[in-house]
Amino acid sequence: MKVLAAYNIKGGVGKTATAVNLAHLAAAGGARVLVWDLDPQGAASFYFRVKPKVKGGSRGLVTGKRDLDAAIKGTDHDNLDLVPADFSYRNMDLELDATKKPTRRLAQLIRPLERNYDYVFLDCPPSISLVSESVFEAADALVVPIIPTPLSVRTFDQLETFLDETDWRRAPRVVGFFSMVDGRKKLHADLIAEVGRSHPEIVTPTIPAAIDVERMGTHRAPVTAFAPKSRAAKAYRELWSAISDRIA
Amino acid sequence: MSRVRRFSLAPDAEVDQFLTGLGQRTTLEAEPTEVVERTIYDTFDWRLHNDGSVIERQVRDGEAIVVWRSLRTGDTLARFAGDEGPRLATDLEPGPATERLAAILDMRALIALSTVNTRRTTMRQLDDEHKTIARVIADEVVDPGDHPLRSVIQVVPLRGYDDEARELTDLLDAQVVLTPDAEDLMVAALRRDGFAPGDYTSKLRMRLDPDQGGADVYLVVLRALFAAMLANEPGTRDDLDSEFLHDFRVAVRRTRSVLGEANHVLPADVLDTFRSGFKWLGQATGPTRDLDVFLLDTADFAKELPGERRPDLAAFSSFLATRQAEAHAALVADLDRDRYAALVDGWARFLDDPPTPTAEEPDGSRPAPQVAAHRIAKAHRRLIKLGRRIDDGSEPERLHDLRKDAKRLRYLLECFGSLFPSDEIAPIVKDLKGVQDVLGTYQDCQVQAGQLEQFAQDMLDHRNVPASAVMVIGLLVEQLDRRGASARAGFHDRFEAFDRTAVRHAVHRLDPDHPHHAGGAGDGDGDGDGDGDGDGDGDPSATDDPHPRSPLEPDHPEEPTP
Repeated sequence: MKVLAAYNIKGGVGKTATAVNLAHLAAAGGARVLVWDLDPQGAASFYFRVKPKVKGGSRGLVTGKRDLDAAIKGTDHDNLDLVPADFSYRNMDLELDATKKPTRRLAQLIRPLERNYDYVFLDCPPSISLVSESVFEAADALVVPIIPTPLSVRTFDQLETFLDETDWRRAPRVVGFFSMVDGRKKLHADLIAEVGRSHPEIVTPTIPAAIDVERMGTHRAPVTAFAPKSRAAKAYRELWSAISDRIA
Repeated sequence: MSRVRRFSLAPDAEVDQFLTGLGQRTTLEAEPTEVVERTIYDTFDWRLHNDGSVIERQVRDGEAIVVWRSLRTGDTLARFAGDEGPRLATDLEPGPATERLAAILDMRALIALSTVNTRRTTMRQLDDEHKTIARVIADEVVDPGDHPLRSVIQVVPLRGYDDEARELTDLLDAQVVLTPDAEDLMVAALRRDGFAPGDYTSKLRMRLDPDQGGADVYLVVLRALFAAMLANEPGTRDDLDSEFLHDFRVAVRRTRSVLGEANHVLPADVLDTFRSGFKWLGQATGPTRDLDVFLLDTADFAKELPGERRPDLAAFSSFLATRQAEAHAALVADLDRDRYAALVDGWARFLDDPPTPTAEEPDGSRPAPQVAAHRIAKAHRRLIKLGRRIDDGSEPERLHDLRKDAKRLRYLLECFGSLFPSDEIAPIVKDLKGVQDVLGTYQDCQVQAGQLEQFAQDMLDHRNVPASAVMVIGLLVEQLDRRGASARAGFHDRFEAFDRTAVRHAVHRLDPDHPHHAGGAGDGDGDGDGDGDGDGDGDPSATDDPHPRSPLEPDHPEEPTP
C-alpha cells in the first residue's frame, strides 16, 4: 500500500482536484483506492457526494475510540472508497497535540488498512501544522501542485527545506507538478522550463487551468469520470502515469 | 463488509412489472436497460469459485470487457480489455488487479464455461446528495431455451451504507414473488450446463472404509486416481495450461506407486501388465513436464535478473517454448497411439470388474487398515535404516535412493491415510515432508543443472542464439548448485526430526495388531494430513523416470497438496 498526500502549504492550488482525479485514475486502473478527506472544508467529500460526517469526529479517530475502517464509505466508482471530512477536523491539531507521539498518529490509523488498499490518497488542508506533520510521517510521497508563479515556487522550496531540516522517522518523497497552467501565458511556460531544470523532483506533465476541472463542482465527480476525453482528464492521466512511475 | 443479497423471481412474474412495483414503494433511479452477453470463466480447479469471485466477459453492443467481481459483496473488483477471452493472468494488462488475480490463478488458465444472454436493469437508490447508497440489479435471461433460469434480483450494498441497504432488502424480503438466498445468475448457469463448481481438486479426497478388505480399498484408490487421470487428459492434450499435465502425471505416478505396493493384494498378472503400461505412460509424459517446469521457473528467475540481462533470458524462454511445443506434440502422438487406448481400456475393464481375491492374494481379503499399516510400517523401517547410513561423504545416488523410499512412504500415507485417525497420520507426514523437501530439492537441482547444460550445448550447436543467451543459463546453473548444496546441508536436521520416537510410535499406532494401536477409524478426510507438499515427483519404483519437480518453485510443488 502506498500513501500519497496531495499537499501544499498554500490553499487554492488544486490539491483536492489532484487527490480526487488521481485516486479515480488509480482505481480505474485496477487498484483498490481510499481517499481520506482531511480538510474540514470537505471538498473531496463534496466531489464524491458523500456527506461530510464521521461518527465520533476527529476526536474519535485521534484518540483511537473509532477505527478508520468504520468511517469508510463506498463512492459511486469501482474500487474507490472515501473517509469523508468532518467539520471537527478543524480541531485535529489540538487533539493530536494531546496524544503521545502526535506526528505518528495518522500513520497508525492508516496502517490497519494495509491489506485492503493499494493506494491511500490524503487530501490535506493547507498550512503547516501538526496535522501536516502527521501527514508527512504517514505518506510515502507528497504530491504537491504548484501554480507557475515565483511565489508558489518559493513556497514549494520552503516545504522542501522544512522537510530536509526536520528529523523524520521516514521522510516522504516529494513529487511536484505544475497546476492551473495557462498555456497562453509566456510567463508560465518560461517559469516551468526554468524551474523544471533545477527541480528534478517536479514531474513534466502539467495540469491546465481548464474549465472542465472547475466543472467538477457541478458534476460532483472526478473530471476523469464525467469527461474522460477532455484535455484536463488527459493531463491527469499523464500526471498519474508519471507519478506512479516515480513512486513505484 | 456488506454482502450482496440475491432473490429469484417467480417464473410467472415479469421483471419490468416487479421493478415498477418496487419503484412505487421506494425511490429508485433506473439506468437504461441493456442486453449483455455474458460468458463465465474459471480455472479447471475452480480457483475463482473457491475464492468467492467470478470472471465474466460481457459483450454489449458489440463491445466486450472482462469483469472480475466478488460473489460476496457484488463489487466489481476489476475491469480488463475484453477483445479476446481472458486466458492466463500474464495475458492481462499489468497492474495491481492483475497481480491480485495472478495470485489466485497462478499458472492456471481461465476456461470459458457458460454463456447467457441477459437483459439487465440497474436501479440506484440515492440519498439527498444524489449519491448512490445501494443498487438493485435485475438480470433476466433472454432466450431461456429448454432449461430456463429464473430471473435474479440483487441488492448490492455500498460500503458504509448498510442500514439503507437493509431497508431495501427488507422490502424485497416481503415480496411474495421473490425467493431469498438465490444463487448468482452465472453460477446458476454453470449448474444448468452440468458443471458442479468446486467439484475438481488435485487433492486426493477419498473416504476409505476401514471395514473393507485390502483389495476393495486398493480399488477405491485406483479408481479415484484413474478418474483424476482421465479428467486431466483433454486439457493435457490441448495444453491449456501446465497443470493438466502435472495433475495427469501425479495420477499416473500415484497409480504406479499403489501398484508397486499391491503384491498379494491384486492378481500378479494384472500387476505385471499395468505396472509396465503406466511406467511407459510416466516416461511418455516426462519430457513435456520438464520443459513446463523450466518455463515456469524461467519466468520466476527473470524477476531476479538485472533488467539488462532479461532479453538474454527471453531468448532462452523462446528456445524452451519451441522445445516444449515439440515435446507436447510427441506426447499427444503417444496419447493417440493404440498402446495408450489399450492401456486405458484394459485398466477401465479391470477396475470395473475386478476378480475376487484368491489364495494367491491373501492381503486382498485381509482388513484394509491392517494391510496398509503393515506396508506403511515396512516403508518406514526401510527409510529409517537407510537414512541413518547417510553422512556427509555419501554419494549423491544414496540420497536419490532415499528420496524414492521417502516417496514410497508418502504415497502410502496419502492414499491410505483416511483409513486411520488423521491425528495419527499428520505428525508422520509433517516430518516426512521435511525430509522429502531437502531430498527433492537436492536431486532436482542436480538433474536440472545437468539438463540446463545440455540445453546450452544444444542452443550453441543447433539454434541461432547469441552467446549471451547461453551465458544466462550459467547463472541459472549457479543458482541451482547453490540451492542443491544448501538442501544437502539441511538433510541431517530434517532427518533427525523425522527419526524420533514420537513418529515411530505414530507409525506403530496405525497397526491394529500392534500394542500401540490407537483404535477407531479415521476422520476420512482422505488426505491424512493437510500439509503442503513439495515432495516432488516420481514413483518410488520409477528409477528410470528422472523428471524432477522444480526446485526453483518451492511454492508450487510438483505434487498437489494431499
